[in-house]
Amino acid sequence: MSEPEDPRWLDRIAAELRREVPVRPAWRARLLDEVARAPKPSVRADVDDAFGDRRRRWSVTIGPLGSLAAATLLVALGAGATYVAMSRVGANAGQRPAQSAARATSPQLVSGAPPSAEREVVRFELSAPRASHVALVGSFNEWNPVATPLSREPATGKWVVSLRLPPGRHVYAFVVDGDVTADPSAPRAADDDFGSPSSVVLVSSPRT
Amino acid sequence: MAVTHPEVPGFNLATMTDAMFVRRVLDGDTAAFTTLVDRHAAACTRFATRMLGNREDAEDATQETFLRAYRSLARYEERQAFRTWLFQILINRCRTAAVRRERRHRMFLVDDDAVASASVRPAAEASDLRAELQRVVDALDPDQREAFLLKHVEQLSYDEMAAATGVGVSALKMRVKRGCDRMQRMLREGEASDVGT
Repeated sequence: MSEPEDPRWLDRIAAELRREVPVRPAWRARLLDEVARAPKPSVRADVDDAFGDRRRRWSVTIGPLGSLAAATLLVALGAGATYVAMSRVGANAGQRPAQSAARATSPQLVSGAPPSAEREVVRFELSAPRASHVALVGSFNEWNPVATPLSREPATGKWVVSLRLPPGRHVYAFVVDGDVTADPSAPRAADDDFGSPSSVVLVSSPRT
Repeated sequence: MAVTHPEVPGFNLATMTDAMFVRRVLDGDTAAFTTLVDRHAAACTRFATRMLGNREDAEDATQETFLRAYRSLARYEERQAFRTWLFQILINRCRTAAVRRERRHRMFLVDDDAVASASVRPAAEASDLRAELQRVVDALDPDQREAFLLKHVEQLSYDEMAAATGVGVSALKMRVKRGCDRMQRMLREGEASDVGT
């Protein structure tokens, strides 16, 4: 065994333990067979608890003022890591998230767009001059690559689309000629996952 | 292992996120779960093997993990990495398996996974090293072993570990440190006894 006094001993041990334990094809086949025979996953809230115990999941509903406070807190804590689509469309244009001078592509509210009772208009932009097709996928469109195509704006050459989104946190990505790509100017959704990272936009209530 | 992916028109599969595959499964494309299995099964099996010390229990725990994940996929929230969510289930399965094994009073100390599955038998030296390491890992307290493996083998961040284990970051850091110290001590003592024989 390597010498424990050697400061690299931990790296060596970890590397050895990190050696892949190969997945046996027969085990994989059996697992997929079990999955195929299992009931299809339910989208209902009362599905079985995955963790084997009956822990109750609590949720807290906050009103419009609470939402605004929470959004402000998020911005303060994240030091600009989270963009918040602020408040009423058109009325508070000055409160929109600051845009990078080099790349103003983060989702933003559309000025003058009439707000609905439940949704806020958010504009997505991407600078991809060589792309031939760009689509928006996200939790709001079931990650469907044909549901929300972007169109190229003649004046700027940017790919753009505007959507009415309900208040809340939305995870999304662009699909550029088939490749899933995070929004380069928005915060990332989750780290260390497989595939390309996704982005996040927060939409607050139109009535706040 | 041959990895097969279900066809997903309109996407380059390699760039699709786990959350996208989760969504596809929930939308009825259950074959998309195959990709999630292929992306994560190796890491899950490795963690469970290191945690439980033998392949059989590890495969059972991993299989149970994926089946539970599949049945409860609607509970997955995209703000969390799918891997973290999956490990949350796996850690619970391993804890349960360890309790079960405790009841059976059965303990395997030798990791024979690579030997059993490799087409070429590894050199005796490498096998001895792995067995020695597994012995040292097995000797850790379960809490320390779990924290050490998550941090240094699976390379989760402390925040991910906290989400997956339900334990606070400070406590996890302490467990990792104590685990490392203990391993270091055991390895040193092992060397001393080797010299003595």
